[in-house]
Amino acid sequence: MDAACVRRWLEVAAARIESERHYLTHLDAAIGDADHGINMHRGFTAVLARLSTLDGAGPGELLTSAGRTFVSIVGGAAGPLYGTAFVQAGQALGSDGAFGPRRLLEIIRASLQGVQRVGAAVVGDKTMVDALAPGLAAFEVGLRHGSFESAVREARAAAMEGARNTIPLQARKGRASYLGPRSVGHQDPGATSTALLFAALEDAVLAQRAQRLAADQPISLGEMHDR
Amino acid sequence: MTAEPNMIQSVGRAARILKALGSEQARLGVTELAERLGLAKATVYGLLRTLEAHQFVEQDIETGKYRLGPALLQLGNAFLDNHELRARSLLWAESLASRAREAVHVGVLYGPNVLIVHHVFRPDDSVQILEVGASIPWHACALGKAMVAFLEPSQRKELLDGGLPRLTGQTLTDPEALVQELDRIVREGVAIEDQEAIVGEAGIAAPLFDHRGAVVGGIALAGPVEHLLPGGAPAGDLLAAVKESARGLSRELGAGRLSLPGAGA
Repeated sequence: MDAACVRRWLEVAAARIESERHYLTHLDAAIGDADHGINMHRGFTAVLARLSTLDGAGPGELLTSAGRTFVSIVGGAAGPLYGTAFVQAGQALGSDGAFGPRRLLEIIRASLQGVQRVGAAVVGDKTMVDALAPGLAAFEVGLRHGSFESAVREARAAAMEGARNTIPLQARKGRASYLGPRSVGHQDPGATSTALLFAALEDAVLAQRAQRLAADQPISLGEMHDR
Repeated sequence: MTAEPNMIQSVGRAARILKALGSEQARLGVTELAERLGLAKATVYGLLRTLEAHQFVEQDIETGKYRLGPALLQLGNAFLDNHELRARSLLWAESLASRAREAVHVGVLYGPNVLIVHHVFRPDDSVQILEVGASIPWHACALGKAMVAFLEPSQRKELLDGGLPRLTGQTLTDPEALVQELDRIVREGVAIEDQEAIVGEAGIAAPLFDHRGAVVGGIALAGPVEHLLPGGAPAGDLLAAVKESARGLSRELGAGRLSLPGAGA
């Protein structure tokens, strides 16, 4: 992966969030403030604007800038949590130009740790961690047994399943926890938006691969080193 | 549940059934309830039928399982209506919300938790969910810290020695740090919470006192951290608004001027 792929990931994520924003808000109306879709859309709109000013930036800088933008633009829990996830990812990358699947795994792990440091949530609390943690785990297992492409596909599937699995859970973190048993029976909006980001990651990786095949480019040194 | 003198066993069992149904995601059948409570199915069935006759539970026609019934809502509302502090706080809470343009919570301490007994929405037409009935660990919210700071030392110690679960990365879970925080609250008469219960949410609370000078509740602004704590510190006018509301309401509850914190300051 490289800066172009990260940029594409954020762009696809923005598009997916935009098309699902009403759904996210609908989910949030049941157990929150009915603003998750609005907040995520506002955040990604600002991220896209920021990206357009960052020509030539490396992938780490892109993610860090996206995170800072999120923190400053987005209110509620989504701003600090997604902002931290992106900033941690960017800082884990540092100034590297190209990176391979193993580094991506470390980056997602850093994001999860950042989110858990801020939110103190564990799997089963009915939060974005319920999509992020299984997505990360599936990606790790996928890399061990198959290709990068199959690993991102499995990560997306696991994150989606994780989001759906929040339905029977009683929220133990966030505003939804105020509802107690009444939070049961609703899918967590944060886990759902996280699953959308995994779907966007898969899209971006597959698109990059397709482009390379078309151009018949050799894989980068960074990726060879990683493998 | 040990049988204590003057306790009616079947009433205790009925209460346990209600609590089980109130804490469960799915509706529960007779067999599940019997297993969970360690009782004979016939006993549980009899209790359920009795509770159903009073509409405390109802049976789902399709599945035959039981869930909580509508009479509990009426009782819950009656509890709130009869709550003296809540009744007296309505106007004060409303005026604090419109003055600060933020949501207001009024809460009381039940064990280690703050029970929200009144909630005025932030007056900005946004969608908000009613948080009356929410139960928040005392150490994680401004209301809880404001109340516990003014408890008797023995009560304060008991709560500090109890569980202090972490709700966010910012929750104070170290008893010594909390003691310092509580002492600061006693000096300043106001408690601040910076995303200690929910990421992105903050609170500013002051305690409420009765005629004996005992803390009976608290009133708080609750809202986005960037509104309440812009730049990391509470906006001065919000602090003043909360303290003034708490003093006014405490006076109405019979507290004398001298028993109020910060009265001499």
